[in-house]
Amino acid sequence: MNRFLTRLLDHSSGRIGGVIVLAYILIALAAQAGLTPYDPLQQFRIERLQGPSLAHWMGTDMFGRDVLSRLMIGIGQSFLVAFSSVGIAALAGTLLGLTAAWFGHLWDGLVMRLMDVLLAFPAILLALLFIAVVGPGTFTSILAIAFVYTPIFTRVVRGPALSLKARDFVDAARTFGSSTSYILSRHLMLNLVAPLTVQVTLALAWSLLTESGLSFLGLGTQPPASSLGLMLSDSVNLMEMAPWLLVFPGLAIMIGILGFNLLGDALRDILDPRSRRALA
Amino acid sequence: MKPGMTRRLLACAAVVAGLVGASVAPAAAATLKMAWAQDATGLDPHKQTAFSSIRLLELVYEPLVRLNGDLKVVPALATEWTFAPDAKTLTFKLDPKAKFHNGQPVTSADVKASFTRILDQATGAAARANYASIASIDTPDDRTVVFNLSQPDVPLLTAMGSVNAAIVPASEIAAGKIGTAAIGSGPFKLESWEPNSREVLKANSEWAGGKVGVDGIDIKVLPDENAILAALRAKQVDFALLNDPLVATLVPRVAGLTLNRKPVLSYHVLQLNPSRKPMTELAVRQAISCAIDRKDILDTALLGEGEITGPLTMPQYRSDPNTLFCYSRDLAKARKLMADAGYADGFSATVIAATGEPPTAAAEAQVIQSQLKDIGIKLDIKLMELNVYVDTWLKGDFDMAVALNGGRADPYSMYNRYWTKAGNLQKVANYIDDTLDDLMQKGRVETDPAKRKEIFAAFDRHLAEVSPWIWLYTGYAYTAQQQNVQGFVPTPDGSLFGLAKVTLK
Amino acid sequence: MTYLLRRLITFPLVMLGVSVLVFVAIRLVPGDSITAMLGTEAGLLTPEQKQALAAYFGLDHSWPVQYGRWLLGVLSADLGLSVTYGKPVLDVILERFPLTLQLACLSMLIAIGIGLPLGVFAATRKERGSDLAVRIFAMIGQSTPSFVIGLMIIYVLSAGFGVLPAMGQFIPFSEDPLGNLGQLILPSLTLGLSFTASVTRISRSAMLDVLSDDYVRTARSKGATRRRVIWRHALPNALIPVVTLSGVEFGYLLGGAVLVEQIFALPGLGRMVLDAILQRDYALVQGSVLFVALNFMIVNLLVDLAYVMLDPRIRLGGRS
Repeated sequence: MNRFLTRLLDHSSGRIGGVIVLAYILIALAAQAGLTPYDPLQQFRIERLQGPSLAHWMGTDMFGRDVLSRLMIGIGQSFLVAFSSVGIAALAGTLLGLTAAWFGHLWDGLVMRLMDVLLAFPAILLALLFIAVVGPGTFTSILAIAFVYTPIFTRVVRGPALSLKARDFVDAARTFGSSTSYILSRHLMLNLVAPLTVQVTLALAWSLLTESGLSFLGLGTQPPASSLGLMLSDSVNLMEMAPWLLVFPGLAIMIGILGFNLLGDALRDILDPRSRRALA
Repeated sequence: MKPGMTRRLLACAAVVAGLVGASVAPAAAATLKMAWAQDATGLDPHKQTAFSSIRLLELVYEPLVRLNGDLKVVPALATEWTFAPDAKTLTFKLDPKAKFHNGQPVTSADVKASFTRILDQATGAAARANYASIASIDTPDDRTVVFNLSQPDVPLLTAMGSVNAAIVPASEIAAGKIGTAAIGSGPFKLESWEPNSREVLKANSEWAGGKVGVDGIDIKVLPDENAILAALRAKQVDFALLNDPLVATLVPRVAGLTLNRKPVLSYHVLQLNPSRKPMTELAVRQAISCAIDRKDILDTALLGEGEITGPLTMPQYRSDPNTLFCYSRDLAKARKLMADAGYADGFSATVIAATGEPPTAAAEAQVIQSQLKDIGIKLDIKLMELNVYVDTWLKGDFDMAVALNGGRADPYSMYNRYWTKAGNLQKVANYIDDTLDDLMQKGRVETDPAKRKEIFAAFDRHLAEVSPWIWLYTGYAYTAQQQNVQGFVPTPDGSLFGLAKVTLK
Repeated sequence: MTYLLRRLITFPLVMLGVSVLVFVAIRLVPGDSITAMLGTEAGLLTPEQKQALAAYFGLDHSWPVQYGRWLLGVLSADLGLSVTYGKPVLDVILERFPLTLQLACLSMLIAIGIGLPLGVFAATRKERGSDLAVRIFAMIGQSTPSFVIGLMIIYVLSAGFGVLPAMGQFIPFSEDPLGNLGQLILPSLTLGLSFTASVTRISRSAMLDVLSDDYVRTARSKGATRRRVIWRHALPNALIPVVTLSGVEFGYLLGGAVLVEQIFALPGLGRMVLDAILQRDYALVQGSVLFVALNFMIVNLLVDLAYVMLDPRIRLGGRS
């Protein structure tokens, strides 16, 4: 673990990505703990639509709420959605992929065909349908994003799991009397961690992007709560009057996704056996 | 896009069109190019309820009477009309010059056939309920129509000023062609209609109402209002209809564009549900009314683009809002009322609103939430997709609801569904008292305009005071036009009939 | 090859799954075409009127009957009637499709036209300043959501220059080529930029991989020039991941780009599907989702084929 961290810190994009993601997490936690300049819901309606100033560093929105405070809360909201959805998708995908590879036959066929059906939809379309059925909201967008990403995790896990299953050491473990569940959890997981970790980081970037897109369409986080996409969506018609409403959340989304992408890159370089060999 | 470039593009387009051999007639100078965001959904004037359809059909069809810019009843197909003193017979004289687009004159037989169709259950006419008092129709001669009513019904006359009561040719009804071919008697003939894309109207040279100012209207459907603004800027459009106040306010910033505003009949309202605790208490409802700062909501959610209003929104019946109960915010009074009702510490409730319908709903809910917090009411906002909202609203399944409800030119037709004992939306209103019902019934039978006005002024005051709903304001209907467009008169019901008299310079 | 064969066999099965899923999903959405059309006025309908409307919208039968009818129609290329447009669903889709197709092609063109040369260039200058610059550009490009780029472009154009691209109605290329390009260039750039970044990154790393492979080294040692090695030997192999990636992306784009269409107010497939869902236009939702899924799967199949054709190792030796 320590070696892994050292390598990550040696990797320049790993360093930058790590700093960004860490900073965002700290901001989100601080906002949750109430450490925002103002109450993000407090409406100073006399001061509405004011540009950046000393009192309001990023200006105020149409209700006179402090944009910086809302941005901080919004980052937390967006991260909450990103982490929970990817967590659920990774868990469900791993479970489905492993069982499909392990039990094979009918179950494998069933699971994989179902995944084929889900993958036949462009991702955003699938999310839209899902949200239409369940109704918009934060929890729904978590589920929708998880739902869309599960097939990808399933595939990522099933492939290596199949080839690992065919390998000798699983057989060997089996002859030495290890129980099935032990084999599954210990050996397979160890050899799956690498691709999974990379996929998770990439999924986080994608999830952040999708959350902001859904909120932008009015289908994600609902007001008066705040999320980066929602802030952008509110800014569209006020763009010419109050450009700061567009610029700050736009940058925040961009930098957040950049952080995950950089981190993902670094992880891939470090964990991917092929590039590891190349480095050695 | 620079003007020079536009010209080059246009020239290029013309060349290409020529090459392809498409028959692009040189655009006549007097054709009005118009844009709107929502298209008509059908051509049957009796069945359409969507504003977007009605706006189109008003140019093609005509009712017996029409409502002018102040919503006063003025002649259309009928030149004169009289109510019998008991308000149980209504007689119309038709304009002898009136002709349908197919050349046939408009006769009393057409009027009778049209109303028979509207009153027939099987037609599914949108506003059938408004004409339900018609018991029989006599046609003593070609020019005279007599409506015999089952009960006194003064609002009927105003209700007839809707395109939902348009007169269509009896022959077309018999042929079952209403809704497929648009044969009316109005200032324009519908040449073609491509749903959600465009329609072409040609001036009706034989229109009995006089000479139409333009040769025709080309209407484009641009589903996004920002796109309409862009088209106005690029001078691709002479005249446009706008709904979004945020877009409309940008219009005057563009040189050469004029924005027309007209307060509309539909009203933004915070509906309370007086069948749910604690809104059952008069004092609680009044406290909410006193805690709401209408001007503040208007300024925030609509950027001030509207007018504060009581329940009655039509110009003749509108009262000065300052005379109504608690129309200026009074927090001390609100707190005292809350304490009187036993809710000094406030309570929690949920307010529902539809996403994007109206576009201001979410913003209104948020300001209301923040205002009611001041008297200890903790409001949870539940935004719903429009269909879900409608379902919930119709069931009356809410504590409070932010709504934009449609208005009518006559107070009785506008509110009998909510504020009479037999109203078919009583389930939504959930409040009725004898005074309201009594005033409504009186208003229905009174033929003297001055007395009607008094009756409805009392109704207005009483409704604001018992506060089942908190009326907020009406928005504006916006039209935007280039400098070359002249003579358009907007009306509060959003009608575009004024286009008949518009000229292009 | 057997893999492709299996894909072909499961194709109709997957489509059937898609049809069932979308049919059920849209019906699970609360509300129906009647409330979508009338809004709160729906409360004033009499039971007879309701009945008549239900019959008109085809809602007066059980789900299995509705599905069976629809499926039979689909098999004879009849996707049903859209209630919002009053036209056959296929007509509505085919009206919107040219815009979506053109937008997809243009942004692919931009992405590959810029991304591929940039990636190859960066690979040949590994670890130098220019390589770093390209990588930073690619990283930022890949991390910027297309709708953020679109909004910024619109803001700069409208606030800075007071101009906006023509929105709302699609100008077909055949009617007005310049107008058409003027209308689509910004949306294509918006859509293409983040994909340009992906192509740059993929082609760079693929190129680096191939350059370190044995056969390239052999070719080099046999005296082939550097340029010849890059363009003749390395590039075709480095193309494989680029083709795969582009294919998948193209498949996505053919499903419409909801956000970019929304921002530039373009009548493409993506917004049509979203509107159809909001309008509860069942036939249109079903038809268009089926159409989009079909495109998507065909494109993916073609990508797999291209994969087999391009990679000499697979072509000769078969997949292990």
